[in-house]
Amino acid sequence: MSGFTKRQILTLTTGVAIGGASFRAAAQDMPAHERQLYEAARREGEITWYSGQYNAETSEAVGRAFNERYPGVRCNVVRSTSQVAFQRLSQDNRANAAQCDVFSSTNSGHFTQLKREGKLMQYRPVNADGMLPAIRNMDADNFFHTSFLGLFLMTHNTRLVPEAEAPQSWTDALDGKWKDKLAVGHPGFSGAIGVWAVQMRKMYGWDYFTRLERNNPQIGRSSQDPVTTLNAGERSVGLCVPVGTTALAISRGNPLKLIYPREGVLAAISPSAIPSNAPHPNAAKLFMEFQAGKGLSETVRRTFNEPLRPDVPPPEGGRPLADVTLLTPTLEEQEKGVPEVREAWRDTFGV
Amino acid sequence: MSEAPALPQGAAQAVPRRLSGRLARFEPVTLLWIALIAILLFLVAFPLGKLLVVSFETRGTGAFTLMNYVSAYGRSRYVDALVNSLILGLVSATMAVVMAVPMAWAVSRTDMPFKGLTWAVVLGAFILPPYLSAVGWILLAGPNSGFLNLAWRWVTGAEGALVNIYSFSGMALVIALNSFPLVFIFVKSALDLVSSEMEDAANILGAGTWTAMRKVSLPLVWPAIVAGFIIVFLEAIALFGTPAIIGIPARINVVTTQLWQFFEYPVRVEVAAAYAMPLLLITAGMIVVQKLMLARKGYVSQTGKGGERRPIKLGPWRWLAFGWCAMVGLMAVIAPLFVLLQASFAKAWGRGLAWDNLTFANYYLLIFEHEMAMTSIWNTIWFSATAATIAVLLALMIAYIVNRRLVPFGEALGFLAMAPFVIPGIVMAIGFYAAYASPPFALYGTATLIILAFAARFLPIAYANSTSAIRAVHPEMEEAARILGSGRLHAIRMVTAPLVKKALLGGWLIVFIVASRELSAAIFLVGPRTRTMSVLLYDLSEAGNFEVLAAFGGLLLLVTMVFVGIGMKLVGRDFMLRRN
Repeated sequence: MSGFTKRQILTLTTGVAIGGASFRAAAQDMPAHERQLYEAARREGEITWYSGQYNAETSEAVGRAFNERYPGVRCNVVRSTSQVAFQRLSQDNRANAAQCDVFSSTNSGHFTQLKREGKLMQYRPVNADGMLPAIRNMDADNFFHTSFLGLFLMTHNTRLVPEAEAPQSWTDALDGKWKDKLAVGHPGFSGAIGVWAVQMRKMYGWDYFTRLERNNPQIGRSSQDPVTTLNAGERSVGLCVPVGTTALAISRGNPLKLIYPREGVLAAISPSAIPSNAPHPNAAKLFMEFQAGKGLSETVRRTFNEPLRPDVPPPEGGRPLADVTLLTPTLEEQEKGVPEVREAWRDTFGV
Repeated sequence: MSEAPALPQGAAQAVPRRLSGRLARFEPVTLLWIALIAILLFLVAFPLGKLLVVSFETRGTGAFTLMNYVSAYGRSRYVDALVNSLILGLVSATMAVVMAVPMAWAVSRTDMPFKGLTWAVVLGAFILPPYLSAVGWILLAGPNSGFLNLAWRWVTGAEGALVNIYSFSGMALVIALNSFPLVFIFVKSALDLVSSEMEDAANILGAGTWTAMRKVSLPLVWPAIVAGFIIVFLEAIALFGTPAIIGIPARINVVTTQLWQFFEYPVRVEVAAAYAMPLLLITAGMIVVQKLMLARKGYVSQTGKGGERRPIKLGPWRWLAFGWCAMVGLMAVIAPLFVLLQASFAKAWGRGLAWDNLTFANYYLLIFEHEMAMTSIWNTIWFSATAATIAVLLALMIAYIVNRRLVPFGEALGFLAMAPFVIPGIVMAIGFYAAYASPPFALYGTATLIILAFAARFLPIAYANSTSAIRAVHPEMEEAARILGSGRLHAIRMVTAPLVKKALLGGWLIVFIVASRELSAAIFLVGPRTRTMSVLLYDLSEAGNFEVLAAFGGLLLLVTMVFVGIGMKLVGRDFMLRRN
């Protein structure tokens, strides 16, 4: 019993010791702008990242990669769904207690709103020059920058539904034969589901969801919840699931297969930003550099997420972006639409 | 030895004689009393008062308004959530009573075999956090993939499911399986006080064992059953984790998940406060009903030290009694624990038990790679330990003052100490958020705030425990010490404290355990570095990765068990019972 406590203390102390020892070596091979920020960030000591974009495993890996690259600046990873991350941020603000240094959400509407309210810090990461041109300049005023490029589509359990019978489009899922077989996340929690609901409403009207309700989908919270549900065989078709988490599950031997719906896939091109009251502004900027640089892209591709830079190869087995139709509501549609669909969702589904 | 010299010499001479005479009789305990009132106001009264005030304020301006109540109850969906919570509380509490009362009777009054096992089950169910057992039951009773339903289909060839956890009754069952120990503890300790002579009298008059139990033993412990029922009801309506994990897929909205929605952007603390008010009225109402129900009857069964207690011989029926205990234990602890452990060592839990599915990666990830897991374990231990210490010390002092009638209006202190009992944890947390999160206190996200919230939330447990401990020590022992020249505090330290030490340790342990699994009071108060295991578990449950979640649950149980083990060594196996 006492051995457990000792080991725990040991784990903690070695962690601290390693952090202290290797920072000089790390600073050597950094470009000048990073080294400068790193120096300042080390005095702040930590950065708190509200991470709503990458899944828990990937977020933790990003935090570790950051710690390795910048010893002495500890990254506090606070992973949750995007709506919950935003809720935490609002709660912090309401209490006048700034906690968050970098905020990442799949609901881009959060950023236009925060920007308009004057709650974001202007910063352009130098490393952003090396990002894919299409996603490089998300905000002309440099209040937020792309840190996530995620595709959300459908997936099915191959043991329960043979490929030939699987739904091929978003509307196929409305067919009565999928009653009690579907799984989906919740727009009150997941940012991506909110954006997806806005897109579906734009294409088919709210009627899409009243018809979906008749098929009694199992509602989780995160957009990744259907992956778990499908792995277990609890349900057989998942709606609006992230490619990354699904591909990771497939690589572990789960019987899933991705479906690229005919109408196109939901492309979440989502940013990160520094709140204007961030307690560790230099560390926050350093983290923004890290996200725009190769560090993030190389880390996230290992768990099957799209890199943000052309100099990092795409994850194995994914379909090239050029071959896919991408659906994305505008930033304005996201900001205005997500709160609306969230309320409508609760009226339609009861939760 | 006078206590007065605390005053500086010069000042003491300057004061008139009458006042100095009064000061000579002044006891430091009076100061203590004032300090205690201040602490209780800070911990209990202020957050609740603030909640009430805020519920009438306009967001941003603070102007008086009734609109919060209109927003909170103006939509049928919000009212439905309240109704759902009430029904859920009643159903869960009824189920828990049905489970626990026969168990308590069998353990306390009969010659049922393997009573130790039953104890272990009760303790296990008490330690297992509700959200963990909810996840366990999803693995067990998901309608299509749950192991129970797979087995059912395999055996019977049926199409449908045996149990659907994603349903109202499923959710109520999981909550009952988690909270029946509270009823068990209450009823068992009450039954322990009923002497066999009462049953003998019934037997002599021709009643069999069954009738005697129904007409004599159970009615005598009616107050304990009612108290247990109310506690489970309050637990059930205050739970956040289980409704979030089971209720959302089951499409059942309850008060706690609704309160959570009011914290979505823009954070509407005012509406949340207004929404919580009727809940407070309902719980307070239940206490009144309890008082009325029990008021006009006498339940005194213990008379002095007489009264023999013999186990009732059940004959072959004792195996039925054991079967019941075993079934509850299987459902409450063994089965969910087994599937959770299986999942925690699995690459993909849906693939079940197989060598190529076995991995330590989930534990490895948490212990060596996860940024927050180890910190949150440490947070949980020291937050809970500090909160338990504060609660027990505070409760001890209040109980002492109230029981020894040292001050006028002592009852008011006792009332304040018991008040959090009727406040759902999540409401308490919102009160703390409203009162202390912002400047001038600016405690949001700090360890201090979480510790204080835990201490306040579990003060009633510590208080009930301390009261019974203090009552057991006759004042004449202290009086002997005081006659020999000891001051009040010295007498407490040298005489009373050693006598109540064991009972207090037991109380400390109970508070520690319930604090270590507390989610609803923590979820609005934590900051990035002050997340507890329960909050991190909740975050993990959002990530859809049950394997890592289960492994983290395993670690949480390990930590709790270490403390329970130490506690049992120090206090004895039945530390949970010492409160009565």
